[in-house]
Amino acid sequence: MNNTATRKKDKMQAVPRAAEIVREYGPFGGAANVHGVTHDGQRVWAATGAKLVGFDPASGEATRTLDCVCDAGTAFDGTYLYQIAEARIDKIDPASGKVLASIPTPGQGSDSGLTWAEGSLWLGQYRDRKIHQIDPVSGAVLRTIESNRFVTGVTWVDGELWHGTWEGDESELRRIDPADGAVLERLEMPRGAGVSGLESDGADLFYCGGGGSGKVRAVRRPRAGKS
Amino acid sequence: MDSLIAASARALAAGDALGALKRVALRDDPPALALRGIAMAQLGEHPRARELLRRAARGFGAHEELARARCVVAEAEVAMAMRDFGVSPRALAAAADTLDAHADRANAMQARLIAARRLLLLGRLEAATAALAPLDARELSPSLAAVAELTAAELALRSLRIVPARSALARAHEAATRARVPALLAEVAEARAALERPAARRLIAGGEQALRLDEVAALLASDALVIDACRRGVGTGEAWRPLARRPVLFALARALAEAWPGDVDRETLIAVAFNTRRPDETHRARLRVEIGRLRALVAAQAGIEASARGFALRPRDARDVVVLAPPIDGEQASLVALLSDGAAWSTSALALALGASQRTVQRALADLETGGRVRSIGRARAQRWLAPPLAGFTTILLLPAALPIE
Repeated sequence: MNNTATRKKDKMQAVPRAAEIVREYGPFGGAANVHGVTHDGQRVWAATGAKLVGFDPASGEATRTLDCVCDAGTAFDGTYLYQIAEARIDKIDPASGKVLASIPTPGQGSDSGLTWAEGSLWLGQYRDRKIHQIDPVSGAVLRTIESNRFVTGVTWVDGELWHGTWEGDESELRRIDPADGAVLERLEMPRGAGVSGLESDGADLFYCGGGGSGKVRAVRRPRAGKS
Repeated sequence: MDSLIAASARALAAGDALGALKRVALRDDPPALALRGIAMAQLGEHPRARELLRRAARGFGAHEELARARCVVAEAEVAMAMRDFGVSPRALAAAADTLDAHADRANAMQARLIAARRLLLLGRLEAATAALAPLDARELSPSLAAVAELTAAELALRSLRIVPARSALARAHEAATRARVPALLAEVAEARAALERPAARRLIAGGEQALRLDEVAALLASDALVIDACRRGVGTGEAWRPLARRPVLFALARALAEAWPGDVDRETLIAVAFNTRRPDETHRARLRVEIGRLRALVAAQAGIEASARGFALRPRDARDVVVLAPPIDGEQASLVALLSDGAAWSTSALALALGASQRTVQRALADLETGGRVRSIGRARAQRWLAPPLAGFTTILLLPAALPIE
C-alpha cells in the first residue's frame, strides 16, 4: 500500500512472524511468576518475586538461588546483577546476594524490563510504552525511546534493540529503531504466552519470562539474511 | 506486570492487604486500581472497592479484555456482598464468556457461581438451579467448590430434598476442609446445624411434637394427608395444593384437620374462615360454597361429610391426617415459615396467605428484618421479602482468584 498519509511508524511496521519457541524452563521451586530474566554467560537468572533463581540453560537445573526482592526486570553488567524491586533498582553481588547500592526507578514503580548495554541501564516503562536509557549510578534518565505497545522487557544484541510487549492476550518480541522507535521486526508469541522480561544470550536465543505461567521460554533469534 | 504491581500482588497473596495498598495507593492506572479495589474489598470497604474495580474495568484497553472481565467478576462479587442486586447480570455473563474464551476456566466458573448465588438470593430458585447445574465442582478450587456445594445444599433444602442437601453439605465440608478457610468451615457447620433444629410442629390430639427438617420431609413424602400451616398447603406426597392465595380454604382445611376424626360445628368454621362471631344466613351460604370448593380440591385424598352440626374430614384409604404448624406460634413465626421456601414474596402476598392486614404483616416484617431473620430486596411496590440464606456464605469474598494481573 502506498498511502502517503500513513505515519512513518505505521509504514515501517514490520509484518509479524510466529516466534519459534525452542525450549521451556520452570516453573522454579513453586514460584508462580517470572517477572524478569537475564543471562550472565553461564546461567539464566529468573526473578520470581522473592527469589532470584539462576539455572543452567543446558540442563534446566536451578544451580543458584538468591533471596532478594525481584518484582520486575533483571540485568547483568558482567559483574553485578541489577534488579527492579518495588520502586528502586538494586545492584546485587551475584556471589553473596548482597545489595550493594540502590537507585530510584524513573517510573516510580511502573517499570518492567531492564537490561545493560554500553555502560547504561535500559529500562522499560510498562504501560507508558517507553524505554529509558539511565545512568546506572545516579538513575538519571539520559534518553527516552517511545514505543507504541506496552513494554515488558528490553535487551540489546549485536546493536539491535529488542523489547517484549504484552497487552492482554497478545505478546510479541519487537526489534525497534533506537532512534525513532519504529518497529523493524515482529515475532508473535503464541496466544496466552505472555512476555515479562527479555534477554538475549548474545547469540541465537532470547530468553523470555513467562509471567504467571512461572516459565522461562527460549525463542530463536532471527538473523539477517535468513529467516 | 510492572514492579510495584508485582510487589503489591505479592503482598495481597500473602494476606497483607494494607501492604498491597501502600504500594499502589497513589496510582490510577487500571492494574493499580484493580489491586486497590481488591485490597479494599478484603478490608471490608465494599462501596469504595466497587468504585475502584469499576474504574479499573473501564480503564483496561481493547487488548486487555481478560483483565477487564476479571474486574467485572470481582465487582459483581463485591456488589453481592453489599446485597446490591441492581447490577445487570448481562455484564457478568459476558465476562464469563470472555474468561472462557481466554481459557481462564477458574474465573469463568467463579463468574457463573456468582450468577447462580445471585439468583438464589433473589429467590429465583428455578433459575438458580439451572445456573448451578452446568458447574462441575470437581473443576473448581476447594474454596469455590465449597461455595458451590453450599449453594446446591441451600437449593435442595428450600425444596425439602433432604438427602441431596445432606450429601451436598458433606461435600461442602470436605471442600472447605481442603480449602482451609475457617469462615467457610463455619458456614458449613452452621448449615448442618440448621438441619438439626426444629423446623415445624406436628399437632396431635392434646399436644404437639417438634420435627426436624428431615422428619417434615418424611411426613410430606408419606401417604398421610398433610395440612401444612408452614407452607400453607394441603396434600399427600406428590399431590400438593398450595393454598397461600386461598386463605379461606386453608383456614377451613386446618380447622377440619385439627378436629379429625371428629367434626366441627358450622359456627366455629364460620368464625375461623370469615373472621366473624355473629354469623347470619349469608355466612352459612358462603360456608357451603367454600366447603364445596375445598371438597373438590381434596377429592382425591379425602371427602368432606356433612354432620348434624357441621362438617367432618374423611380421608380416603384410612389415611392419617396430620397438621403441621410453624415451630412457634405467632404472626412472625408464620411469616418466617412461609418465607422458608426461599422464594421472593411481596407484602401483599404474605398478607393474603396469612389472612392478616398488610399493615400487620409490614409491622411483623419490620421487626423480623431488624433481627436479621428476613431480608428484603427492591423498594416500594417492587419490594420483595426473603428468608435469609441458611448458609451466610454471601459475605465471603473469594476475590484472590479474580486477580486482574497476569
